[in-house]
Amino acid sequence: MDNNQHNTNLVSSRRHFLSTGAFSLAGVASACLMRDEGLLAAEKKTNKELRPELAQTSFDLKPKQPLYEPKARAMISLWMQGGPSHLDLFDPKPSLTKLDGKDYKGDIKYDNAAEASPKLFASPWKFKKHGECGTELSELLPYLGEVVDQITVIRSMHTGVNNHGQSIRALQNGRILGGRATVGSWLTYALGSETQDLPAYMALIDPGQLPVMGVENWSNGFLPSLYQGTVVRAQEPRILNLDPPPFLKGDPQLRALSYLKQLNQRHYERRKGYHDLEARIASYELAEHMQLAAKEAMNLQDESLATQKMYGMDKPETKEYGSRCLIARRLIERGVRFVQIFTPNQKWDHHGSIRTSLPAACKIVDQPSAALVADLAQRGLLDSTAVQWGGEMGRLPVIEKDRGPAAQGRDHNTYGFSWWVAGGGFKAGHVHGVTDEVGHKAVENVVNHYDYHLTLLHLFGLDANRLIFEQNGREQSLIDNQGGQIVKGILA
Amino acid sequence: MRPVSSILFACLIVASPAWLVAASKEAEIISFEKHVRPILKAHCLECHGEGEETEGELDLRLRRFILKGGDSGAGFVAGKPEESPLYERTLEQEMPPGDTKLTEEELATIKKWIATGAQTLRPEPETIAKGVYLTEGERTFWSFQPIENPKVPTVKHSKRVRTPIDAFLLRKLEEKKMTFSPDADRRTLIRRVSFDLLGLPPSPKEVEQFVNDKDPKAYEKLIDRLLASPHYGERWGRHWLDVVGYADSEGFTIQDPVRKHSYKYRDYVIRSFNKDKPFDLFIQEQIAGDEMIKQPFKNLTPDQTEKLIATGYMRMVADGTASSGVDDGIARNQVMADAIQVVGSSLLGLTLSCSQCHNHRYDPIPQTDYYHLRAIFEPAYDWKHWKKPNQRLVSLYTDDDRKKAAEIEVEAKKVDAKRNARAKELIEEALVDQLEQHVPKELHKSLRDAYYTAAAKRTKEQTALLKKYPVILKISQGSLYLYDREINVKKSQLNAEYAKKTKQYIARAREAELKKIPAESQAAAKAAAIQVAAKRNDAQKKLLEKFPNVDVTIANLDKYDSKGAAELKQLKAKIAKLVPRAPQLTKLSDEAKAIRAKKPKEEFVRALFETPGVVPDTFFFSRGNHSSPEQKVEPAVLTITSLQGSYQIPINDEKLPTTGRRLAYARYLTSGKHPLVARVLVNRFWMLHFGKGIVATTGDFGLLGDRPSHPELLDWLATEFMNNGWSLKKLHRMMMTSTAYRQQLRTIPPQGDTDPDNRLLSGMSLHRLEAEVLRDSILKISGNLNTKQFGEAIPVTEDRVGQIVIGIENLSAGRPGAKIDMKGEEYRRSVYVQVRRSKPLAMLDMFDAPRMSPNCETRPSSTVAPQALLLMNNEFVIDQSLLFARRVKKEAGDDLEAQIAFAWEEAFAQKPDSQEIASAVEFLNDQTKILSAHPGAQSRLKKQKDLTPQMQALASFCQSLLSSNQFLYVD
Repeated sequence: MDNNQHNTNLVSSRRHFLSTGAFSLAGVASACLMRDEGLLAAEKKTNKELRPELAQTSFDLKPKQPLYEPKARAMISLWMQGGPSHLDLFDPKPSLTKLDGKDYKGDIKYDNAAEASPKLFASPWKFKKHGECGTELSELLPYLGEVVDQITVIRSMHTGVNNHGQSIRALQNGRILGGRATVGSWLTYALGSETQDLPAYMALIDPGQLPVMGVENWSNGFLPSLYQGTVVRAQEPRILNLDPPPFLKGDPQLRALSYLKQLNQRHYERRKGYHDLEARIASYELAEHMQLAAKEAMNLQDESLATQKMYGMDKPETKEYGSRCLIARRLIERGVRFVQIFTPNQKWDHHGSIRTSLPAACKIVDQPSAALVADLAQRGLLDSTAVQWGGEMGRLPVIEKDRGPAAQGRDHNTYGFSWWVAGGGFKAGHVHGVTDEVGHKAVENVVNHYDYHLTLLHLFGLDANRLIFEQNGREQSLIDNQGGQIVKGILA
Repeated sequence: MRPVSSILFACLIVASPAWLVAASKEAEIISFEKHVRPILKAHCLECHGEGEETEGELDLRLRRFILKGGDSGAGFVAGKPEESPLYERTLEQEMPPGDTKLTEEELATIKKWIATGAQTLRPEPETIAKGVYLTEGERTFWSFQPIENPKVPTVKHSKRVRTPIDAFLLRKLEEKKMTFSPDADRRTLIRRVSFDLLGLPPSPKEVEQFVNDKDPKAYEKLIDRLLASPHYGERWGRHWLDVVGYADSEGFTIQDPVRKHSYKYRDYVIRSFNKDKPFDLFIQEQIAGDEMIKQPFKNLTPDQTEKLIATGYMRMVADGTASSGVDDGIARNQVMADAIQVVGSSLLGLTLSCSQCHNHRYDPIPQTDYYHLRAIFEPAYDWKHWKKPNQRLVSLYTDDDRKKAAEIEVEAKKVDAKRNARAKELIEEALVDQLEQHVPKELHKSLRDAYYTAAAKRTKEQTALLKKYPVILKISQGSLYLYDREINVKKSQLNAEYAKKTKQYIARAREAELKKIPAESQAAAKAAAIQVAAKRNDAQKKLLEKFPNVDVTIANLDKYDSKGAAELKQLKAKIAKLVPRAPQLTKLSDEAKAIRAKKPKEEFVRALFETPGVVPDTFFFSRGNHSSPEQKVEPAVLTITSLQGSYQIPINDEKLPTTGRRLAYARYLTSGKHPLVARVLVNRFWMLHFGKGIVATTGDFGLLGDRPSHPELLDWLATEFMNNGWSLKKLHRMMMTSTAYRQQLRTIPPQGDTDPDNRLLSGMSLHRLEAEVLRDSILKISGNLNTKQFGEAIPVTEDRVGQIVIGIENLSAGRPGAKIDMKGEEYRRSVYVQVRRSKPLAMLDMFDAPRMSPNCETRPSSTVAPQALLLMNNEFVIDQSLLFARRVKKEAGDDLEAQIAFAWEEAFAQKPDSQEIASAVEFLNDQTKILSAHPGAQSRLKKQKDLTPQMQALASFCQSLLSSNQFLYVD
């Protein structure tokens, strides 16, 4: 369905294509790009064999066919900014327990050297096998244990850049540089959206502080701004420009719109035949329609109490995060392509007091995350929805702040850390990759950020090396010539 | 290779058979010249006749060449298309190779031509030169003919003729049995001309004045007044900045570095428009300003500075040559190609880039011509000795400034030295401290030695030792702040201890003293002693005078408890020693910075200039590829624009220290002899006044471009423009005082509209406010427009959700931090807002402000739902509507009808009629009622006292006006 009216003077312009998709709330890329459009079209023709249909020639959010039959059609990313400790959650290390308190002999890169120590630090928590697959998980994740047969734990994630900002970029946009397009932007650029009433790519931010790197986490980079993630705020107005501020919500805005319509119609009566004026009158009706669709999608009262409870909405610690997980499911159901849910700034950055702060963080996300997997599965959505859980790093096997148990924590580690993935063609009930004996570095089946991206896009029926965008004569891609390979071991 | 092949194919896909079809209507017979050759030119000649090699020895440039054929025999058999390879091979899609095949229409044309005997219109030339051959049709193409001075036609309704423009237009209208619409009323007119010339709405006072002006020249006076306004240059300068592709950032790469000094060119443009700088001089300065003044560029006069700034025109395109990870050859040649394209589309109305890699497919521009033209610009760019963006900055420092700066630098260096010395001390201090805290005594010396040994010279043992103690290894100037955390923790612990003990010891001493005074006074004395001295009442003061010993303080504690006092003193001393180290260095750095800030401000011009004495060669690039240079090429103008007389571009002008190529070219362009320049300029100005050019494709006057709707008018305007000393303001007057311009909005007939594009101008066209005009007008109406002119770009940044807004970037770990007060700068006109290519201001972007790649010849005007959402819910619109409402209340008082009338005139330059007032009153009353019962509106009132339901309803009314079509469109 074409939701918009167009009127371009002179000639049909790129804007025309850009604006066919309803959502480009951050501003639509624009006008004088006709020549570029030509370039892209020509490029596509000359390289037809190489890149069939992957460089888009016009920009909209209409659904598009991928290269291959896809496994995944939508994605939910549960983004754990700060770097959850794999050693205390996903990657049990009996040898670390044995070496507890001894000096670590290997090379180590600290982020905070002033509080560093070489003393090895065994996990204070117990691990146990879960499900039929027998994957070992920490006692801090009891709910995840219940869906463990649906997930694959990757224990060998690697970006190799030891600070938050760069590692976030590597995982979110493929490179340690800023200004690039994030995974969700690439997916919506390639595949459009199944719905034209809702934004194709939505970022559900936490009511607290924004995660590190802020808006870069959902940036469209060099891609047209149509593909930027639309932020859903935790309070009203939920979506800027889409939702009115609280004082206009409901009746006041409806009354204003009906007055506006009256003004416009009177104006039009004296200017009959000017289609642009008619189109603009209609554009307000379309806008209202979109508002209703978004409002409906976020209305959790439609959900049964049992479902709400499943997501932990009945408990203070899980209520907020659970609501957002549930909203994510509703968005996916309505055809949204990519949803990313953020935890607050540095929630998982446990340099100190890990004995108290890690369990607190787990309490917030464990039940809702597991519920999301179970709920998608019971609705038959999991097969086509890729779910990803993880942050930009894990933690070091040595103590940081060696000032007694209450103070102790762990420093950054991007050389080997854990994620879990589920659905959308990922293997179920599986563990992939191995870190060294103390869990510092990934040593077997290492999954670099670009390997992961290749794999993920593969599940969507795309080839991340061939999905390109021309910028000033340069081919930009998510992988950006870093090589890498599809991680076959995590495919179903 | 990529950009090269991109450009190669860019021209192919714009192929449209539209004009071919149009052409076939012109003549009865199907001819080679008119019908077949254009098809061959578009698809075949590059490989068959005009290119570097002739495939299969088949030359398709002339009928007789085709008949003669190539390696595989004759190209056609007249009368028998089925036996003609020219038809058969294209029909079978063997030719042309590649994805683009001939359309059915094109095939039908070729078939018909052969079938009807393969005729030509005239005998073909005996001989033609190798390569591109300019046909008669191309030589006589309208836009390449000299500009004429046509006679002003006579018309039947001569009463409607105010200026010759009207005569030209009316004659065409009368041919179609049409005429002009009546003049618009004065309110409509003043709104139209104000937006047109200033990009701002007229104030109600200005409207009243004009409406009541009895002077028969009232309208002319109005135009003159607006032309004299300083805001005129902001509006019309912006139009020029579109064509030039103005930007405040380099683009090209994702880093998109800011061009700090770009704004000087923007200001130059605005000032030039304001003072009606003759356009010929304006063009000369922009192309060759550097060659109009003397090098070296030292102690420049204001006029010389201006000429240098003007060359910013040649520096506007995206430029990746300072960025890392960019192929220098590609990036530099891309800059040159884009700059030449901007010259082509802004001044020549030609798509020059199409001939960068091959002969132009449609226009008579051989690839060699492109490189002749490039040679004119080569010495200034000199891609082998490229001036990176920071190397093309010319300092405006005078000798005097330089001397002053050097003196200040000496002072700053002294502080630098002090800082370095202090850094060493602090590192030593940290080392001692860390050793004491974390390392057994016996290792102190060896660790210290290891630490102070350079990393490369350390023994294995030393390295191992340091590894065991990362807290020692990592001490450095840069990491001192990490160690400060420890200090701060300790300091706050000690402070707490000190406070606690102080309280305790004083209380203990006081209790002891209290026991020494009469029991009945003890309670009161205790209360008095505990009370803060400044807050004691008279009775308490008196009491303490009576029992002074009870008043124990930290100052006199020693008298009562010398041991405790000593302990506290010691503690205090310990605390005093705990000074965080990093801030000490920061303080010294800041000190040096403050000294340096006293230097005279060094201003820079971002310029294009040649290095005297350096004359780089230009080569013909095969396929446009800079790594395939072929023959050397000399500077020359395009063949097709100089048919009426050759024009020499010097290779190296003896009279100038530089080559003089650009200066000569600029003079040629503005000589009055150039067939395109004046036509292209007046056509663009016409479009900006009337909504559509006489040639609709303002950047393409070539064969694929539009044909002029009124060719004589275009020439007459161009001649007039040049005869009037290239004065744009005179041209404005000429156009705007015409009957054509003063007409009412065209009435669209309900059926059978014969002129849907309003090319004949039987009435005025409807315009939507451009992005900048919309934003600026909202600000003016809300009473907030900051009319300050010129200066550095107003920065843009991302807000918390990634929307691009006006603001100073203030990131902390990549997130927007606290908003920095913009001090009213956020309300400056849009032309002063930073054009950061990667960060287009959301409000402007949404309403079609151009993204420069490389420039914008014509802006589209879109109508999409997100625009509606923006006007409904965007913070800027809502805030400004409230400010507008406050202004309404202040100016019009509490009477609803007065408020409505005031707002109406501000927004629309019209008075509301009774029906409009009635429905507005109804709305205000309804909305007030709704808001009175609305929890969101109520809580807003709690936060801001003046936001009563009435006030909020008024703001909602103001927002409705600003979102309405009557505001968004100009009749």
